[in-house]
Amino acid sequence: MLLDLHTHSIKSDDGRAKVENYCQWIRSKNLPIDGFVLTEHRQFDAESDYSALAEKFDLCILKASEVETEYGHVLVYGVTPALQAEFDFGSISLPLAKVIAACNAHGAIAVPCHPGRPRVGMFAHTDALGVPAGVEIVEIYNGGSRDQEDQIAIEHASQLGYRGIGGSDSHIVSHVGRCATRFDAEIKSIDDLVLALKTGQFEAVNLKTGD
Amino acid sequence: MAISTIQEVVFGEDLPTFEPDTSLATTRQFAALVGWGGARFSDHEAARKEGLAGAMVPGILNQGYLVAMIHHWAPNAEIKAIDTVFRAPVIADEKHTISGVVTDVNEADGQVEIDLTVANEKGETRVFGTATVQLPIA
Amino acid sequence: MDQDITAAREKFLNQDFDEKSFSVPAEKTIEYARLCGETAERFLDASHPDFQAPPTYIASLSGSRALPEGFPRFGIGMDAGKGIECFLPVRPGTTITGRTHLHDIYSKTGRSGRMVFAVSRIAFYDAEGNLLANSDSRVVMREKS
Repeated sequence: MLLDLHTHSIKSDDGRAKVENYCQWIRSKNLPIDGFVLTEHRQFDAESDYSALAEKFDLCILKASEVETEYGHVLVYGVTPALQAEFDFGSISLPLAKVIAACNAHGAIAVPCHPGRPRVGMFAHTDALGVPAGVEIVEIYNGGSRDQEDQIAIEHASQLGYRGIGGSDSHIVSHVGRCATRFDAEIKSIDDLVLALKTGQFEAVNLKTGD
Repeated sequence: MAISTIQEVVFGEDLPTFEPDTSLATTRQFAALVGWGGARFSDHEAARKEGLAGAMVPGILNQGYLVAMIHHWAPNAEIKAIDTVFRAPVIADEKHTISGVVTDVNEADGQVEIDLTVANEKGETRVFGTATVQLPIA
Repeated sequence: MDQDITAAREKFLNQDFDEKSFSVPAEKTIEYARLCGETAERFLDASHPDFQAPPTYIASLSGSRALPEGFPRFGIGMDAGKGIECFLPVRPGTTITGRTHLHDIYSKTGRSGRMVFAVSRIAFYDAEGNLLANSDSRVVMREKS
């Protein structure tokens, strides 16, 4: 099962895509992905219900978040009200250790995204701040990466023994599905996704290059 | 073939790609026309001294290219809204490609939404955005 | 949301802080259209019955000031994006009026530290007071980290 683990809709300040149009796009272009995860910036969109769209287009649509830490941006899968009470998702300077600890305490998982990117990526900060404890997975394929950003992510992840996921980081409809993550298990819910990430049965896929 | 009504538009169709004139001469001329002084739009060397990779194409010229592409595709299209995000500088004298794709078609009100991108030769998105366009209803 | 951003929102949002008149010379709008690569005659031919400025022309018009007096200096401002809403065509040869207010203020982290975004909106009106278009400019101010 192939899921794009990093997408933004109009709920994000810089997102320009409607979720229904993502669905239409995936189906009309016969993209090989089976669904996507909405990772809105600095928030968890608790109110939107995409179950009707998921059913109509036979796609898995899940919700997560992209938060901001001193190590850059971090995807959080498995957001619950209890987790939301642990830290301010809207903050732009969260301590990564706090995010990871809260995720561990509430059955969620934190995944630094575009880690090879200057400033907003984790590996831009490891020389100065050290390698953070508790990271097990990073995003190694990001659809918005430029220059050598993905390569930096892959090399550092390999050195540190991290597993890698892929996501398009799409902000407009036509960018969905540029990168994704292949799972052995069938994912139907955010709990399924978190379990699959924690058990390690997945691989990152770059659909732009075929890697 | 040029699009003239909403009924001719197909969800997911690509607009004809367009290679804009991003020459330094055009960039300089445009900046002068709109009264934007400064070396960053007119002089590669001076722009590099400002920490840029070279002289930049003004953001609004990129936006103009995107709208021109829409009119190449549908000459009678009325732009209702266009929103562009400048992700990275578009450097003058470098080849760029303007592309657009239809991401929503509303036959009832004649409106179309289009994803827009300006990409460099490496395929990196420098500018992206969306436009809402009104087309005649047949 | 950071306290300084909240304070700036409370103080500055949705209050007109500038008004300016703009003439719209036909030769300028035609040249603008030509440089953008426009091919539609209504933007290029002054004798066309629907002759008008290209839709993005208004994005090139700036008020007397980009930010209200007293707005905090978060850092050096850069152009982060433009948005335009068009309601009626802008006719060359006319004079239009632009009124400016701050439409949004927010912050995020970027490749170079905290970035504060201010969305400045100029609403353009014709001589009869009809709203022709809104032009939004997102200015990003990068703080030194």
